[in-house]
Amino acid sequence: MKFVQDLKRDEREIKSLKERSRIIFLFISIMFCIGLFKILQLSILDNTEYLDDSDKNRIIEMPIHPARGLIKLQDGLVVAENIVSKDLFIKTEFLDSAEKELDYLRTNIANDRKLTYSDVKNYKKDEKVLLLRNLSSAELAKFELSKEFMPHISLEISLRRYLPQKNLFSHVIGHLGRLSSEEKTYLPRFEYPLTSFLGKVGLEKVYEKELKGFPGLSLMEVDVYGKKIRELERNLPLTPKDITLSLNLKLQNIARTELANRKGAIIALDPNTGFIKAMVSSPDYNPNTLNGSEIGSSFEDYLREDSPFFNRAISGSYPPASTIKPFVGLLGLEEGVITEDTKIEDKGFFQLKEDGRRYRGWKEDGHGQVNLNKAIVESSDVYFYELSSQLTIDRISKFLSAFGFGKFTEIDLYSEAQSILPTRNWKLGNIGEPWFVGDTINIGIGQGYITSTPMQLLSSISAIATKGKIFKPKIVSKIGSEPLMPELLHEIKIKDQQHWNIIEKSMIKVIQSWNGTAHNLYTEGGVVIAGKTGTAQIKSLTDQDLTVREEYQEVRDNIEDRDHALFASYGPIPNPNIAVVVIVENGESGSAVAAPIAKKMIEAYQKITFIDEQ
Amino acid sequence: MSNRNPLDYSLNKPLIRGFNPINYLFKDLPLFLALLILLSFGLLMLFSASGQSTSMVSRQIIFILVGLVLLLSISHLKPRSYKNILMNSYWLGILLLIYVLINPASGYQTSRWIDLGFFSFQPSEIVRLILPLSIVAYLCRKEMVPKFQDWMITTFGALACSYLVYEQPDLGTSIIVLTSGLIPIFLAGLPLRIIISYFVVLSLTLPVIWTNFLYDYQKERVYTFIDPNADPLGTGWNIAQSQTAIGSGGLYGKGFLQGSQSQLDFIPESHSDFIFSVIGEELGLLGILFLFALYAFILWRVFRIGFYAETNFERLACCSLGFIFLLFILINVLMVIGIIPVVGVPLPLVSQGGTSIVVHLLAFGVILSTKKTQL
Repeated sequence: MKFVQDLKRDEREIKSLKERSRIIFLFISIMFCIGLFKILQLSILDNTEYLDDSDKNRIIEMPIHPARGLIKLQDGLVVAENIVSKDLFIKTEFLDSAEKELDYLRTNIANDRKLTYSDVKNYKKDEKVLLLRNLSSAELAKFELSKEFMPHISLEISLRRYLPQKNLFSHVIGHLGRLSSEEKTYLPRFEYPLTSFLGKVGLEKVYEKELKGFPGLSLMEVDVYGKKIRELERNLPLTPKDITLSLNLKLQNIARTELANRKGAIIALDPNTGFIKAMVSSPDYNPNTLNGSEIGSSFEDYLREDSPFFNRAISGSYPPASTIKPFVGLLGLEEGVITEDTKIEDKGFFQLKEDGRRYRGWKEDGHGQVNLNKAIVESSDVYFYELSSQLTIDRISKFLSAFGFGKFTEIDLYSEAQSILPTRNWKLGNIGEPWFVGDTINIGIGQGYITSTPMQLLSSISAIATKGKIFKPKIVSKIGSEPLMPELLHEIKIKDQQHWNIIEKSMIKVIQSWNGTAHNLYTEGGVVIAGKTGTAQIKSLTDQDLTVREEYQEVRDNIEDRDHALFASYGPIPNPNIAVVVIVENGESGSAVAAPIAKKMIEAYQKITFIDEQ
Repeated sequence: MSNRNPLDYSLNKPLIRGFNPINYLFKDLPLFLALLILLSFGLLMLFSASGQSTSMVSRQIIFILVGLVLLLSISHLKPRSYKNILMNSYWLGILLLIYVLINPASGYQTSRWIDLGFFSFQPSEIVRLILPLSIVAYLCRKEMVPKFQDWMITTFGALACSYLVYEQPDLGTSIIVLTSGLIPIFLAGLPLRIIISYFVVLSLTLPVIWTNFLYDYQKERVYTFIDPNADPLGTGWNIAQSQTAIGSGGLYGKGFLQGSQSQLDFIPESHSDFIFSVIGEELGLLGILFLFALYAFILWRVFRIGFYAETNFERLACCSLGFIFLLFILINVLMVIGIIPVVGVPLPLVSQGGTSIVVHLLAFGVILSTKKTQL
């Protein structure tokens, strides 16, 4: 019977086992169904969402930055290009622990060059610190050979802006710089990654958009560590445009050489088109060291008292001084206050009828009998005191304004200063005093409240050269392959065209006459130039107790107090093709210092155009 | 074979009369073939998940071969012959667990690994299978219904193992070890009144355990499991990436070796615990269903063998191992899709891991050995 008992027990056990299995199975099945529903939800219901997520994981968008556009001269000479720069970097996190590597770098590769990193605390984590910029080929070779001693130092290759002529175009082209903290906030990160450069001043800034182009896009597949696996898609960048300047290399070179070791500015333009032929401001700087393409002075080094960053040609404000006299004389003719033959007696001073106050001319003994021609040629102050007192400020302001005084010239550069053309309202608003006749008299010789930038003065003088036409001054003559056309800004209409000739004749006489203030320029049979000298006083000379000579002696002792020398000119007559303004700060004499430079420029330009025509 | 049940005798009768060497060698050919398919499938997925590393795959192949040899050898032993060994193997498990606490392999934060030089393993992975078998062997050591003290001894035996694993510390695995010990006790007929008293004790001690015994990282895991998106780069990041992988796979998957999440290393531990998400991403829902079908077929064969085995020991052993197998699948899948917190359970016979493979194949050896084949 044992068999039957066993059989029954087996049956009982199997039954219990099956029952209990069912219980466990039920429990597991419920859990399993929950899992299955979750899987269905993931892979069927939310499939697209998760596909998006997985694409976001693996695909990153990398901008492709095109090389910056070139800047050329009209003959094709490249004045701003991109060069490959090889720099050594180290990650911030290794900087503390890699003292040995840095020592090795210092002694074996950098030699006498100083490593560029300064204080570790200034750097954020995950940033790279520049150690050595612009390796020479010898340094590069040494680094490649001894790389294993410096495992944390990495070589990176990038494009840097390079100006082959270095300082020559510093103020025109300007330099690039890293993004400022403010620029980081508003510039799109895609176009401007944190380490990128952008134009800070000059044409680099004005034409930033054209020169930069627009970055292309590369879709890269990356793994979880950010390593690039392959490129999925590529949108090519918008190629930047090259920019062609109207500047002339020879004129630019002459201007820079002549201004060397002086402060001042020279600008030349073609009065018939407004295209700038030369623009130099001195002192200047080497943009390459700021662009990181050359080793040398840093930004801070240039923050000197003589401010090399300051573009005196468009931002410097100077009294126009005697260079204003042709304009005032023209107004006198126009208004009928004087004729060509009207004469006054210049005794060396002008006395106001109202208060008896005396205004002295620069020549103590006076010029004697003076008509308009003589007044311009010898630069008689007294003649223009008299004339301006009769013209009144209202008429003077209105007329000078037509020539561009007190206005922007709208040149294609930033940071142009606005010259000041005072009016009654201007004085009331800015000085808080009513207008006095004495103020008008000062304006008549270009002193007092009136100021001009060299650029504005050039624009105004070119209006005399073209008999009334003022073109918008332009440095850039071509963007990409599209030439820029001259733009006539304004045309001055006068009652009698003959008046232009009277003024021009006087301006020619300034050089040709034996008594002209710039007669030193005269050469028999040379290029005929029309011009006007100016000597801008920065220290007032109205103290009545001293003679001019005595006062001047005092002023001469301090270089900073010396007069600015000005010369505004154009040539050749009769068909002028270039107008030049030269300002030499503290140069004292317009005729001795400024005028010869202008003459050189005009003569050189004639040779250039002659060769061009050949 | 005095107490042979005539019923299962007829069922276990081979279909083809006469000696069939293949049937004899493999005991249950459908089960064996299903295992081979599953293992091959696992190797393919491992190849993909490991970043197409042949060295990892060949290492896995070696373990599979070792496991299969062991499987075939054990399957031809009589269960009776190793019943006592199984019962005493409990002490081996305890020894390993104590050893790992005293002398853990260096290089790991927790003391879970034993380093043998050429390979290292987690004793808890072995204990997960030794424990239920030894409990079954203990409960069936005599031809009689277990007494009260037997239930108590086996329960405390399971608790002891579980506690030693908890000390490593590894809460997840300790719960799994406890469960794999309790399954055979329950299947063997643990009386209802004891079950009820267990629940009472458990509900009373649970708050005490939460406040006194859980480490912060364990609580953290429970929290992130509740809201995995709260901390996308911390503990929940793994789950978020794994869900993204399965979700982006869709119905058909991205194709073998084409899953971006797995090929680009976004899935952590993709070759071991998270290989399921690689399957989901590259083979899609269909791949998952294929895997489930394969598992279901294997389990059906296991329970079929189990229910018709001769002795109570064999039946309990088969069913316990079957349920534990099912439990591991369930826990791994639920963990990968983010329904339960992350615990260290590989996907059985698919995930990379020598110990896991060998131990599971051993278990199938035990299961196959309970099947009778005619000579």
